[in-house]
Amino acid sequence: MAEFSAEVFQNEFLSDGATDVHAVVAVTCTGAGTTQRAVAGADAGADGVAEIVAVDTSGSMQGRNMEAAKHAAAVAVDQIPDGTLFAIIGGSHVASRIFPYPNARVPMVAMEPGARSEAKRAISTMAAAGGTAISSWLRLADDLFAAVPVAQKHLILLTDGKNESEPSAHLNQMIAEVTGHFQCDARGVGDRWVVDELRKISTALLGTVDLIARPEDIAEDFAALVRKSMARGVASVDLRVWAPQGSQVLFVRQVAPEVDDLTGRRTEVNALTSAYPTGAWADETREYHVAVRVPSKPVGSEQLAARVQVAVGADVTASGLVKAKWSDDSTLTARISPEVAHYTGQAELASAIQEGLAAKAAGDEATATVKLGRAVQLAAETGNDDATSRLRKIVEVENVEEGTVRLKRNTAKLDEMALDTASTKTTRVRRA
Amino acid sequence: MSADDSSLARCPNCGENAAPRARFCENCGTPLGSAEGTAPSEVTLEPAPTVVDPDPATGDSSARRCGACGGTIAPDGYCADCGTPGQSERDHFEERPADWVAGVCDRGVRHARNEDAMALAAGGTFAALVVCDGVSSAPDSDIASLAASRAARDVLVAYGPEGSSSVEGATSRRVAGWTYAMVAASRAASQAVRGAAEQLAATKGKDVTDDPPSCTFVAAVVDQGLVVAGWLGDSRVYWLPDSGQAEQLSVDDSWAQEMIAAGVPRAQAETSPQAHAITRWLGPDAPDTDARCAATVPSGPGWLLVCSDGLWNYCSDAHEMNDLVRRFAGSGDPHTTAAALVRWANAQGGRDNITAALARVSPTVTEQR
Repeated sequence: MAEFSAEVFQNEFLSDGATDVHAVVAVTCTGAGTTQRAVAGADAGADGVAEIVAVDTSGSMQGRNMEAAKHAAAVAVDQIPDGTLFAIIGGSHVASRIFPYPNARVPMVAMEPGARSEAKRAISTMAAAGGTAISSWLRLADDLFAAVPVAQKHLILLTDGKNESEPSAHLNQMIAEVTGHFQCDARGVGDRWVVDELRKISTALLGTVDLIARPEDIAEDFAALVRKSMARGVASVDLRVWAPQGSQVLFVRQVAPEVDDLTGRRTEVNALTSAYPTGAWADETREYHVAVRVPSKPVGSEQLAARVQVAVGADVTASGLVKAKWSDDSTLTARISPEVAHYTGQAELASAIQEGLAAKAAGDEATATVKLGRAVQLAAETGNDDATSRLRKIVEVENVEEGTVRLKRNTAKLDEMALDTASTKTTRVRRA
Repeated sequence: MSADDSSLARCPNCGENAAPRARFCENCGTPLGSAEGTAPSEVTLEPAPTVVDPDPATGDSSARRCGACGGTIAPDGYCADCGTPGQSERDHFEERPADWVAGVCDRGVRHARNEDAMALAAGGTFAALVVCDGVSSAPDSDIASLAASRAARDVLVAYGPEGSSSVEGATSRRVAGWTYAMVAASRAASQAVRGAAEQLAATKGKDVTDDPPSCTFVAAVVDQGLVVAGWLGDSRVYWLPDSGQAEQLSVDDSWAQEMIAAGVPRAQAETSPQAHAITRWLGPDAPDTDARCAATVPSGPGWLLVCSDGLWNYCSDAHEMNDLVRRFAGSGDPHTTAAALVRWANAQGGRDNITAALARVSPTVTEQR
C-alpha cells in the first residue's frame, strides 16, 4: 500500500505585526508500485488504468513526422502492459478512433497480445490529411474514458502544429470541460507548434509539456511516458490546505519538480479547508510552496497557520503543520528559510523566462532584455544549470551577478521553444 | 484589621498567647515561625474542585476546548478552527467548586510557562480562594506555586464549617479566628514551597540556595457573610459590592506600594521599572511568611475577586476593576466571568500569567450570619 509523508520547511518566527507565513512542504509517496492492479483481461476494475495515445494526423505531419509518430505509437502500444484498457486516436480537424476500430462496439479494449498486434496494424494505416482542431481530440478521448470504469486515466497527445482549425476560445472551453476527467502529457514535435497552447492543456490536465526536437526521438519519449504512467499506483491525490478562521491562503504552488500554480484549482472541502487536485502519484517527491496571511498576534503568541494534508479520496494520509510564532528577536525573525528562498527564486525564474520570450516574440526587445537578464541572474543564484545553458543560447551574458545581457541575433526557434517548455522545471534545493 | 491585632496564636509548647507574626514564644522561647503545631494536623474535608478542562493525560483529548475561540483542539495539538495551540493542564486550568465560586488560571501570551497557581474550595456558604504567583526569575516556580496554593487551600478548608478546626462564633470572634487561619495557611504554603524546592534539589541536583523557587500568596475566605483576605506580595483581593464603594482589600507588599505610601501618584508608581519588585513573598529565602490580613462584612451582594498581577496590571484601580468585572458579569456566573477576564487580559497583550478567581457573594449567603 502506498504511503505518504509530508515534511515542512519554514522559518516560523515572524516579527511584530507581520502577517504572511511561507512554507515549503515536501510530500513523498512510497510503495505506490506495490498497489495491486487488476490485470485480468477485460475486467480491469476500478483500480485499473486506461491509456489513450492521440497522434496528430493533420496534413502538416506528412513525411518524416508521420512515420515517426506511427512508429512511436506502436512503441507505446508495446509498452502498455496486458490488462490495461487502451485506445489510439488520430487527430486532425476532426478526431477518429484508430483502434479499437471505428466499427467496434467497445470504447476501449484491454491489452493482450492479439489486441497489440491488431492495434499496430491499425496504426500503420494512419495517413496525414486535414487541419488541426485539438478540442475534437480531447472530446473523443473524454468520451472514450467516460465509458470505462477505471480510476486512473491518462492521455498522451502529440502534435506538430498550431491549433489552427478552430478559435482558441473553443479549445479553452473544451479544456475546462474535460478538466478533472483525465490527465494529459502533451508533446510537440518540430518547431511549428505553439508552446503556450500545449502548456495550457497539460497544466489544466495535470501533466507535462515537452518539446521533441527530432522525430526519431518520439518513440523513446512515448515509451517513457507510458512507463511513468504505469508506475503511478495512486490514482487521485488531493493536496488539502487548512487555514485558520480569519486567514487567507495567498497561494499554493507546486515548486518541484516543476512550477505549477495550484491556487486557481481550489475546491472547497469545508469553510476552512481547500483541496487542490494533484493527479496520480508514483514513488516520488513533490514540493509545494504555501503562503497564508493570518491576522498578526502579539509578540510571544503561537498560531497554527496551515495544516497541509495529503488526501487520497476522502482519507487524509499525511499532514504537515505550518506554524507562526511572533517574536521581537530579530535574529530569529530575519532568517528566511533556504527552501522558501530557493523556490521563490525558481518560480520567479520560470515567469521571467516566459515573460522574456513573450516580449521577444512581440518585438519588445527592451522588456525581453530585462526579463531574460533577470532570468540569467536567478538561474545562477538558484543553481539551475540547465536553465543557464538554455538561456545562453538566446542571450549573450555580460554580467551574471547584475543580470545584464544582450539578445542574440538569429537564434534558432527550437532553442527558444526548448527554453520555454523547460522554464517550469526546477532544481531541488541542496540540503545539507 | 491585620494579623498583628490577633491574640489567638498560641505557643504549641506552653500555650502562651502569641501574635501570629512573632518569631519566638515570649514565655518559653519556642520558635514559632516554623512551628507546624500552629497548623491543623489533619484535614478532614477533601475539597473536590470541578476541573473544567479534562486532563490530557487521560487521553480525553476529543473534549479539549480551545482557550481562544472555544473550538475543538485537534489531535495535532492545535485548535481545529483558529489554530491556537492547545494548552497543557498546567498552562490553563479552571476550577468551579460551586456554582457561585470559580476561577481561571492561564499562561498568558508572553510567558513560556504558567507560574501562576490557583486552588479553590467551596461548600454551603463557605468558600476559600487561593492564588499564588510564581516569581519567574526562579526556575520551577510553577511547581512551587501550585504546591503552595493547594496547601493553603487545604488549611483554610480545615478551618471551614466542615473542617476539623472550624472557626465559629460571632463575627468579631470569627474575624480573629480567620486571621489566625490565614497565617496558618500562609505558613503551610511556605512549607510547601520549601518542600517543593527540596524535592527538586533532590531529583534534579539543583542548588536551590542560588535561586530558590518562590511565589506570592493571596487568599480570601467567605464565611457566613464575612470576607477575610490574607496576602504576601502583590497578588490581590478586591471586594466589588453591587452598591457602594469598590475596594482593594489587600495592600501590595511591593516597591510600588511603598512609593504610593510615600506620596508618589499610583499611576506613576505602578509604571516605574521597579514597580513589581515585591517586598514579601513565600520561599526558602523569604524573611517572613505570615500573611497580612484584612476583613470586611459586606452589607449587600457583590463580587469577590482574587487575582494575580497578570490581570490587575491592565486595570489596577478598584473602581476600574469593578467596571471591568461588571462588563463581563452579565450572566452572573463566576466561571464565564473569570474566563472573560482572562481573555480580556490576554487581549491587552497577556504579558504575564493571568489568574482570576471569583466568588459571587449573594444576599442569601450574607444573610446567614
